[in-house]
Amino acid sequence: MAMKYLDKYPKNLAKSLWIMKPVWTAFKLFCKTVVHRPVTVLYPYEKEWIPENYRGRPGLRFDKCVGCGMCVRMCVTQAIKLIEVDDDNGNKVMRPQINIGRCAFCGYCAEYCPVDAMTVTPEYELAEYTRYDLLYGPRRLHYENTTPGMEVKLEVTLPSDIANGNPERRVHIFDVDKPELTDSKCIGCKKCSKVCPVNAVTMVEKGTNDKGKPIIRPEFDNAKCISCKNCVDACPKDALQIKEVL
Amino acid sequence: MADSLVPVLEAQEKMDTDKMWVIWGPQHPFSHGLWTLKLQIDGEFCTDADPIVGYLHRGWEKETENRDYARIIPMTDRLCYCASMTYSHLYCMTVEKALGIDIPEKAKYIRIVADEVCRIQSHLMWLAAVGTDMGNLTVFLWAMREREYFLDLNVKLCGQRMTTNYPRIGGVRNDTTPLFDRDIIRAVDRFEKAMWDIIYLIDDSSVFVSRMRKISYLTREQCANMGLTGPAMRGCGVDFDIRRDDPYDNYDKIDFEVPVLNKDTKVGDTYDRYMIRIEEMFQSCDIIRQAVKKIEALGKNAPYRIKTPTKVPAGTTFGRLEDPRGESIMYLASDGTDHPYRLKVRSPIFTNVSCSKVMCQGVRIADVPAVLAQIDMCLGETDR
Repeated sequence: MAMKYLDKYPKNLAKSLWIMKPVWTAFKLFCKTVVHRPVTVLYPYEKEWIPENYRGRPGLRFDKCVGCGMCVRMCVTQAIKLIEVDDDNGNKVMRPQINIGRCAFCGYCAEYCPVDAMTVTPEYELAEYTRYDLLYGPRRLHYENTTPGMEVKLEVTLPSDIANGNPERRVHIFDVDKPELTDSKCIGCKKCSKVCPVNAVTMVEKGTNDKGKPIIRPEFDNAKCISCKNCVDACPKDALQIKEVL
Repeated sequence: MADSLVPVLEAQEKMDTDKMWVIWGPQHPFSHGLWTLKLQIDGEFCTDADPIVGYLHRGWEKETENRDYARIIPMTDRLCYCASMTYSHLYCMTVEKALGIDIPEKAKYIRIVADEVCRIQSHLMWLAAVGTDMGNLTVFLWAMREREYFLDLNVKLCGQRMTTNYPRIGGVRNDTTPLFDRDIIRAVDRFEKAMWDIIYLIDDSSVFVSRMRKISYLTREQCANMGLTGPAMRGCGVDFDIRRDDPYDNYDKIDFEVPVLNKDTKVGDTYDRYMIRIEEMFQSCDIIRQAVKKIEALGKNAPYRIKTPTKVPAGTTFGRLEDPRGESIMYLASDGTDHPYRLKVRSPIFTNVSCSKVMCQGVRIADVPAVLAQIDMCLGETDR
């Protein structure tokens, strides 16, 4: 492998003494500029083509969202918070509201969304007259022409799969992390079942204790669970842990 | 010191003038960012210099201590807008080292491509800055025009131009997009031809060459004593590049040359530092071509990201890589939780700018911007 510039370097400087060299360079440039179009665009009237995976403002598909708060947890600048809104059936639900003024456009909310409700959109002209207008509510976050490329898929391979010789790319790999109960710590307060956004936690009676009172323990439906870790955060006695599958 | 400095020093003695301090910055066109250069001048010659940094300190290292490991990656992009890819790469590499995991082959090659695109666009940004410092706006505009093609490649790869947020702990964010291989080869081929226009513009211009040649000599010993790294060090005859001498992420499987000048004399001037950076851009093009071929050979369905545990075992880790500007280091102290106990960043420019004391000695005050342009200042990572 040879050097492309340094090998030619002494020749370059010798050439520069010859007066016709700059004139020739200028003439070449003149011919080029006559033939070629300018590289700039007339911005407000013409716009550059942007690819499908462009990270503009975040978008939300209201019908897919379950209000788990994973985007709130992953947000780098704490731009997202959950607010209460009416859904299509008139029920009160929690959905994300994004302050675009704080958003860092990192795309984590779309990447870590367990149900692909959060997307990245190609919208980048976001200037407003007041700061209040920068708050994007759940309905305003909706983007009309959402394509599959805008859902950022978290395609991850398990290290154990690679060790087994079957390197398969899985989508939503963090779903394999399920909460685990330490039975001795649990007091049966039902907080985990209340915070679960997909109703994967049911409280089940498992016999009675010494005083004759029923022992209530949560049971997890792993098919429904989206691994949002809300139950782990809500547990007052640290009885729940996420078991990481690697 | 070189012979050409002797008449300068003799002239200084004859002048018999008072020395005075001139303060440049923090708001000054020559300083690319917020920093101050105190210059002691004797007539027209600088006799001493004192850089002052810290105007942009924002507590970056402290802020990382309150975040979990995944959420630090977007912050590493904001250390330097030109070297966002290398800094997030460095951070991910350090955490992977602490976890003791090996990432997939495809991710390693994608990171190499992303790093070299980052290096080219960073050097083009430097070239544009050199153009404005020397009073040549054509160089500025042409370099920025070429840089735009590489920023477009960033958009195609990861969706954003500068704050890319692309490497992840255990791999990269997404696979290469379908036509990325074709686009990047086209862009690199085009760039190699277009670069010669800019080179002739500088090398044929006696304004450029005479202002950069035979001023601000640095010896190999001074580089070692002051911790100067990167292209400036290689211009002074030090044959060292982390990509080749301490390879990370499959750089050892790629064939490339490290440009070094003045191996015999071990003294380099400003023009040597300029030439090293230009040659590095051509070498980066070669690296990109080879790495893209390796990505194609691995196939479309190869894994590019593995799942990693959220908690890092207790201990200290040290990672380093070749930044466009020099050697950047991260030192991670973890305490077994999901956020770092301490994350120290060694920025190449913070060390390189301390050399301005030596680099400015014996230089005419009008040439100081030309000399300090070769440091390629970036205050985001210097002050952190």
